[in-house]
Amino acid sequence: MNEIKLIIADDHELFRNGLAELLRKHDEIKIVKSVADGLEFMELINTQFEADIVLLDITMPNMDGFQVLKELKNLNSTIKPIVISMHNDGNYIAKCAKMGAYGYLLKNTDEAELILAIRSVNKGKKYFSAEISEKMINFMSTQSISENVLSNKENEVLGLIAKGLTTKEIAEKLFVSSRTIETHRANILKKLEVKNTAELIKKAAKMNLI
Amino acid sequence: MRSQSRFYPNKIPYTISVKTKGVTNAFKGINGRGVFEDYRGIEVYSVYSLIEVGKLKMVILSEIDVDEVTIPLQELKQRLAGLTLAIFLLAVMLSLFLTRIITNPIKNMQKSLRIMAEGDYNQTNKFIKNSKEIKEMFDALANLKASLQGAVKFSDDIGKMNLHSDFKPKSSNDLLGISLLAMRDKLIEFRNNEENTRIVSKRMLVNGMENERRRLSRELHDGIGPYLTSLKHYIENRVKNEDKKSEMKKIVDDTISEIRLMSNALMPASIDDFGIGVTLTNFIESLKKSTNVTIEYEDLTQQENSNITNHQAINLFRISQELINNSLKHADAKNIRITLSEFDEFISLFYFDDGIGFDINTVKLGLGIINIKERVEICNGTITINSMPGNTSFEIELPIEL
Repeated sequence: MNEIKLIIADDHELFRNGLAELLRKHDEIKIVKSVADGLEFMELINTQFEADIVLLDITMPNMDGFQVLKELKNLNSTIKPIVISMHNDGNYIAKCAKMGAYGYLLKNTDEAELILAIRSVNKGKKYFSAEISEKMINFMSTQSISENVLSNKENEVLGLIAKGLTTKEIAEKLFVSSRTIETHRANILKKLEVKNTAELIKKAAKMNLI
Repeated sequence: MRSQSRFYPNKIPYTISVKTKGVTNAFKGINGRGVFEDYRGIEVYSVYSLIEVGKLKMVILSEIDVDEVTIPLQELKQRLAGLTLAIFLLAVMLSLFLTRIITNPIKNMQKSLRIMAEGDYNQTNKFIKNSKEIKEMFDALANLKASLQGAVKFSDDIGKMNLHSDFKPKSSNDLLGISLLAMRDKLIEFRNNEENTRIVSKRMLVNGMENERRRLSRELHDGIGPYLTSLKHYIENRVKNEDKKSEMKKIVDDTISEIRLMSNALMPASIDDFGIGVTLTNFIESLKKSTNVTIEYEDLTQQENSNITNHQAINLFRISQELINNSLKHADAKNIRITLSEFDEFISLFYFDDGIGFDINTVKLGLGIINIKERVEICNGTITINSMPGNTSFEIELPIEL
């Protein structure tokens, strides 16, 4: 049977020991090393230490989990990180997924799910439970990052300017202050390199923005 | 008497005896003159002389009544007296009049000066000005009064700490004005310093409180949390009875959830790791589970290179918490809209709810408006509150501090 070589990186010894004891019951999983922070882990990796998976905590002294994920990516490491954290907010999950984590587990995850995650990731699959995925997607759906010249908000403001609404009307419609709309408007003019509303409408129409 | 008496025209002259001093003297051969009583017993001026014609001795008398002689003199005397009296009266009246003209304004001025000496510069005595010198004197006095009034008004303003009162010294020699201005500038400086100190100490207080909250939050999350997960591992490893095992695991999981909530309420870790935009997203996501009010939040902060400081982030989070709490507890709102925008120069937090609104002037302190205003103040920001039924909005602006 293929042995899964595992490293635990967490600053709580008690947690590491508990986890180790839990995993010891499973013969195919072998804990090859236990480290207390990111720095210690990276030093270990730099000695060409062989391992398949690291169970990685986010909040650690000296070097945190995010930093470790970044370093692993930079090194093109073959070690697959599974983040195991107390944080259950979507932004933490999304950030880890973006930074190359193969899985995200809460620290109080049941034994069965932990084993499932380790096995899945070992096969090269990513593991995010339904609950974790939902949190991540909920968070990502609120993020409005536009790849275009104008931000989504600026596009919305531009549309309303083109409709002939006044600053005050736009502010009321979008639930922001008048000064916010004025600033958006100034930023749109700057981004499209125009001086006034007439030029703005002309250029926006040309660029198919409205 | 040998000639007719003009005083007794009906008497025969021979029957009148003239035995006066003059006649007696003349018969004695002494010619002369004198003042004595005549035959009627009336004082007269008399010249007497003896005329001898043979043996016949006669005396010629030329007499005139003393009274008759002195009548014009008396008249002259009376007239002179009258004239003197008239001149005297005239002189008295004239001098009285002149005195009035000259002394009245001076008295007036004396009175004015006395009132001013008592410190009242607002008297409105009208001055009578009737000569150039006096007029100039009064103009000078009026100027002095105006200048003192200005100084008094200014010092009154300063006294009331109304330090933006306009005042210009009358000239470079206006020492009072110049020292008042110096005093005002010092007071402005003092007030600014005091204001700064007040804000700094408030900021330190709030920061201290927030740091303590952060410490407690981390302690719960990173200190107790791992013990609980260890406990869960222990249960997984050591408890053989499956029913007991799952029951115990559930209790531990619930405890961990509770700890997460407490830790987040104290201070979300996201605020340090991800900033305010994401923290508010999480906070509102978690609220949605426990309320029927529709909360829409738009995060327009910079995700990668946000210039919002941690201090601003914490205060914006507390302000939002307070505002949402108010809306949910008191406003009876159906909808809440929150927009957090970050620009190059400033951050704008716009908060809207369609609740019952409140009177900005009489709002209860319990609504935490004061708290919100204080947090805005320690971030050097501005706040505009509008409230009417169905439309309450808070516009909060903080400067980007690079």
